[in-house]
Amino acid sequence: MTMTLKGFMAGTACAALLPLAAMAQDTAACMGKLPELNVIGQGMPAVTALDAHLAEFNKKWGTEVKITLLGENERRAKARLDVSTGAGSYQVIYMDEANLAEYVNAGWVYPLADVVPADYDLKDFRVDLANVASSGGVQYFAPFVGGGDIMMYRKDLLEAKGIAPPKTLDEMVAAIKALNDPANKVYGWSARGQRGSGMNVWRWTPFFRAMGGEWLKDGAPAFASEAAVKATDLYIDLMHSAPPGVGTFNWSDSVEAFRGGQVAILIESDVFGPWMEDASKSQVVGKVGYAPPPEPLPSAGWAHGWAISTVGAKDDCAKVIAGDFVGWATSKEMEQQRLAAGIASDIARISSLQSEAYKKAVPQEYIDALLATGPRTNLLIMANPAWPEIGDTLGLALEELFTGTRSDIQASLDEVSFAAEDALARVK
Amino acid sequence: MTRQRFILLTLAPALTVLGLLAAVSTAGAVWFSLMNRVLGSPDYEFVGLYNYLRLLRDKRFFNALEISLIWELITVAGTLVVAVLLAVLVHETVKRALWRNLICFAFLAPVLLPRVAAAFIWRFLYSPSLGLLNWIVGEAGLGPVEFLANPSLALVSVAVVDIWQWGLFFTVILVKLLETMPRDPIEAAMLDNARTWQIHAYVTLPMLKGPLISLALVKAVESLRSFDLIFVMTGGGPGTATETLDLYAYQSGINLGGRVSYASAMSILLLIVTTVAFTLIWRASRKWSR
Repeated sequence: MTMTLKGFMAGTACAALLPLAAMAQDTAACMGKLPELNVIGQGMPAVTALDAHLAEFNKKWGTEVKITLLGENERRAKARLDVSTGAGSYQVIYMDEANLAEYVNAGWVYPLADVVPADYDLKDFRVDLANVASSGGVQYFAPFVGGGDIMMYRKDLLEAKGIAPPKTLDEMVAAIKALNDPANKVYGWSARGQRGSGMNVWRWTPFFRAMGGEWLKDGAPAFASEAAVKATDLYIDLMHSAPPGVGTFNWSDSVEAFRGGQVAILIESDVFGPWMEDASKSQVVGKVGYAPPPEPLPSAGWAHGWAISTVGAKDDCAKVIAGDFVGWATSKEMEQQRLAAGIASDIARISSLQSEAYKKAVPQEYIDALLATGPRTNLLIMANPAWPEIGDTLGLALEELFTGTRSDIQASLDEVSFAAEDALARVK
Repeated sequence: MTRQRFILLTLAPALTVLGLLAAVSTAGAVWFSLMNRVLGSPDYEFVGLYNYLRLLRDKRFFNALEISLIWELITVAGTLVVAVLLAVLVHETVKRALWRNLICFAFLAPVLLPRVAAAFIWRFLYSPSLGLLNWIVGEAGLGPVEFLANPSLALVSVAVVDIWQWGLFFTVILVKLLETMPRDPIEAAMLDNARTWQIHAYVTLPMLKGPLISLALVKAVESLRSFDLIFVMTGGGPGTATETLDLYAYQSGINLGGRVSYASAMSILLLIVTTVAFTLIWRASRKWSR
């Protein structure tokens, strides 16, 4: 059988147009079939920025998108109630790294590829975010914000002491101690101390993992280990080179101390990089260097995004419209529109990172560090539905150790481990 | 229609609505407390008094009870002491009505501020590295003080914010009460050459015993609802140094894996303890105010 060049080109064109044809068919069949598309959201810039464009989506499907904005804990509780009780009031759910395991295990969300439009570019997501949004190699939510860790350091302070940007944990510890100068209100380091699975535990976990720590062994808690004691010891030791009050610092305190010019080295979530370059709020504009966290510290991955509820979007049209909403709200075009509106923090796509608009918004060194950290970024927390409870109990114990309320690290961790057995048993 | 009947009829609709709301929510909480319900699952079963018995073995619960009691004592006593001292000071030193009204207006501002906003402002003021208070302390050569990170200071530091809001508000009430007091007993004391502090200690304040007890009760009830202030400023920390019962109930019911039944049992115990305590205090206060 032979094929002419003309025939080949016509076939290729038809194949390329197939998804569009299918979409046109879906739109015609589902137009006006879903009067309301209910979405649970959290007030991130990427979510609130959608308001300006919703009319366009409403017109396309003859529907009305209703986004319910809630605080993080309330959002988690409401979404969990909606799917676990079978109420199914929401077709689109706001997801994050902490509840992915629970939702996938319970079958509450569709695999993303099954519901988003066929022409949707899944491969364009940043690897670090796609990893966090996936379970068992399948991506379940479309991220619009998130990332991993990045090391931010004061180039001027390091240069003045003749210290090269640290590449290993040992080098970083030595640099922090050498740069610590409380008399002149400059501190070597800062970190989160306030309790919470998303607070001190989040920043402590890379140290725990770097020491070889594991959360579970044969389904039982295994984190009250030598690795955890070593990690906690080092974290407390570094806190001696941090601003006063660090024992109860949240991320905001840490970031503000750094951009207030008081801290030499900070490992934080990479979304805070652009904050350092904001001349209206930062005293360290142009003085900050960016690099991946020193080896062997891994990068704590996190991501927030949209998923489609199997409970709320049961029928075909609800699935199609909800899928199209997620595809539209997290598309390359939408990210470009956000960049044009001056929002450089919520970036989830490689094409956006490489765009001229993004390069104008942040230093090239930051983008390089971001791309270099990506492959080292993973979900470091326990991928278990019991995590919120275990993480918060661990956070409480860590805060007690950081503030000196308790001093026996092993005994504190043993107590948390004991309580975790109950939490894990309840989940089973 | 008799006057009493008219009063009863007009009050009945509001009282019925209030009673229904209170009864439904309390019955719901009691029902939940006898189950083992968690937010993550629709399945639950009857567990009897298990949640209550577990609370009696929960060290963190007793710590929260103790912190709640200390919080009540500090904030109620602190508010009244600040209010009395400032009211007497304003009454004695500011004689022009215009200035006195301006001061009262300024004293009302803190209580009009939303609690969350006040908490954020003070959290920043207390910051060891960037806060104004620590700058002043530093200028005095006392070094940075970890107001919110030091377990011994944290509860008092948060209580100061509560006292700042309510103490100044109560000052305004007391200033107005002092202005309306009968002059005869005060003038009699002045004729007896009593000093200013003696006039207030032995004449005016004893005459204000009734209003002061009422203010103390109002503040005691208000202090039970300080969740927002503590949550924003310390989140209950460092450790559990500022974790009151309502905060622990929230952590258990919402934050810590959604154990709503356990949190409900805690709320019911809190309801019982406060109802008993306030009934006793109310009865005692009626005696004191005579």
